[in-house]
Amino acid sequence: MSADVQTLKSLEIFSELAHEDVEEIASLMTPLKIMEGETVMRRGDPAHTFYIVLSGNFMVHFKDDRAITLHNRGDIMGWSTVITPFQYTGTGVALTDSEILSLPGQNFLRLIQGNSVLGDKIMKKINAVVVERMPFVSEIRKESEDN
Amino acid sequence: MNGLEAIAAHNGWAISVVGVSIVFTGLTLLSLTISQLHKVIKFWDERDKFSQQVKQLWKKEEPREEKEEEEEEETIPDFCLAQDIDEITRQFKLLTKRIGEPFPLPKLLEISERCGLFRPHSAINYLLRTERILPDGKGYFYWNENK
Amino acid sequence: MENLTNLLTEFIANTGFALADYRYIIMIVIGLVFIYLGIAKQYEPLLLVPIGFGILMGNIPVFKGLGLAIYEDNSVLHYLYFGVTSGVYPPLIFMGIGAMTDFSTMLARPLLMLLGAAAQTGIFITFLGALALGFAPNEAASIGIIGGADGPTAIFLTAKLAPALIGPIAVAAYSYMALVPVIQPPIMKLLTTRKERLIRMEEPREVSKKEKIIFPIIGFLLCCFLAPAALPLLGMLFFGNLMKEAVVTERLAVAARSSIIDSVTILLGMTVGASTQGDVFLTPQSVGIFILGAVSFGIATASGVIFAKVMNLFLTVKINPLLGAAGVSAVPDSARVVQHVGQHEDPTNFLLMHAMAPNVSGVIGSAVAAGVLWSFML
Repeated sequence: MSADVQTLKSLEIFSELAHEDVEEIASLMTPLKIMEGETVMRRGDPAHTFYIVLSGNFMVHFKDDRAITLHNRGDIMGWSTVITPFQYTGTGVALTDSEILSLPGQNFLRLIQGNSVLGDKIMKKINAVVVERMPFVSEIRKESEDN
Repeated sequence: MNGLEAIAAHNGWAISVVGVSIVFTGLTLLSLTISQLHKVIKFWDERDKFSQQVKQLWKKEEPREEKEEEEEEETIPDFCLAQDIDEITRQFKLLTKRIGEPFPLPKLLEISERCGLFRPHSAINYLLRTERILPDGKGYFYWNENK
Repeated sequence: MENLTNLLTEFIANTGFALADYRYIIMIVIGLVFIYLGIAKQYEPLLLVPIGFGILMGNIPVFKGLGLAIYEDNSVLHYLYFGVTSGVYPPLIFMGIGAMTDFSTMLARPLLMLLGAAAQTGIFITFLGALALGFAPNEAASIGIIGGADGPTAIFLTAKLAPALIGPIAVAAYSYMALVPVIQPPIMKLLTTRKERLIRMEEPREVSKKEKIIFPIIGFLLCCFLAPAALPLLGMLFFGNLMKEAVVTERLAVAARSSIIDSVTILLGMTVGASTQGDVFLTPQSVGIFILGAVSFGIATASGVIFAKVMNLFLTVKINPLLGAAGVSAVPDSARVVQHVGQHEDPTNFLLMHAMAPNVSGVIGSAVAAGVLWSFML
């Protein structure tokens, strides 16, 4: 089941994309309902899926029990699907009943590699999110790569 | 026959030099052509500039999609309290006394689950959304003494 | 009773158990390793699994003359192998590659194409090395093309110049392509300083649809006029790309980059694997090919990086020299390696898009190099 185009267009990460591009992405994404307490992704697992929060709240915790919390529509999880070594660096847990959009990593990578302008725009948005969480997440990523 | 003798006997040096030169020449020529391609296209397009301008006068702007007004953010997050809010805060503060401050959120969640607190995920989310718990920017959290 | 015994004895004598020798066993183990790497470790599974199983198929000891083995004229495997030996499969794969590749970053920054050209130096240096080791010129050319890091190109050229070496060269080429994340990073770090690795690339300009449509036509005409022998590979590559960009032929492009390329990859991988029979593959020559292949990869990576550093001497806006490693045309693995090494220094430096430019120009460069070598060896 694919995602709604208008829903995607309203998200910050896709706000600058052309309609056809958003349509293409929408066809690859699937909405999921997540229950409070459910684990969406686990640290160390292969990063197969990229997630965008539509509603609800999440905690993503990393090594050393450090954590960030996501409360806003458009927040992203699982960016390791497009960043080597393609392993989740954090575990994502739902703090409340939530709705998310999932995008298989292979499709995402193929999309980015097949259309570099689109990929550039999306990666910039992801970059902005990663930078915002950077202060300690970069240490954690480095440690996980060394391991 | 081996070594430099073999290379000379089979005209290796000449083949390599000419081969590399041809590859470089080909890609350089292609690169130069491409670098001018967009200018040529632009020049060709501007021949019709006048008719384009006339068309622009008659062309109606496509109605813009009205942005949906964002709903006002809830001041109270979606969490049905079965218990008193202050009681929940007190219980969680007791737990954090055991682990110290700033505390790791996953650890707090784990302990609260073990202690059988009511819907610990939602409770923690509530404490975060009402800013009773704040992030320290390094992945850990602390109590907001002002609340 | 005697007849029964004779029949039984004859049957046992024709089984694989009786016909096997240690070379078949070694190759079967190699095939199993490939399958393991492909499935369990997910190293290039779309290549290693067909090749691995092909190795198993090709190394079941069979009685010659029954039309079973790949080198026997009337065997099924032989008919399927025809696509390799005749050079049909690689151009079809190139068509699929063209139909899935976006040349925008290369069109936006044509200068990065030169990095793709520089990386092909590895092909010619390895060619010299192979000559020095005593290989015949056509064999040396086939070995050198491994440095192009392009499996279809390597198979295409070897099928034309040294068909007897298709097995070891193809296995070497695909093995090293799978090992790109292991081979390249140490070389890249050795040849660059931290300051250089931190260089950020400028945002590329927008590329119009017209440019993307006109490019494959111009690219094809220019490259094939210069190196006509590259026609089968580059013709199909640019044709595939034109189908993709033209939009009106999107259905054809979808077929090219999905069902056609997947079908051909299955047949190519399996038959190449099956061609690596123990008595043909396990020779000192194969060892030499593997060593030269690794050297070729290393030199190609180093050439691209060094050329980028040389370019920076003349450029006002510097380019990140790590991009030179992406000139090795293992698409998109070497671009991802560049991304990974760059991010190791600065997690916010996204080089993947920029690395795709030399990466795809490396595909063109290796095809031109193959055409040039083929024309020299005729």
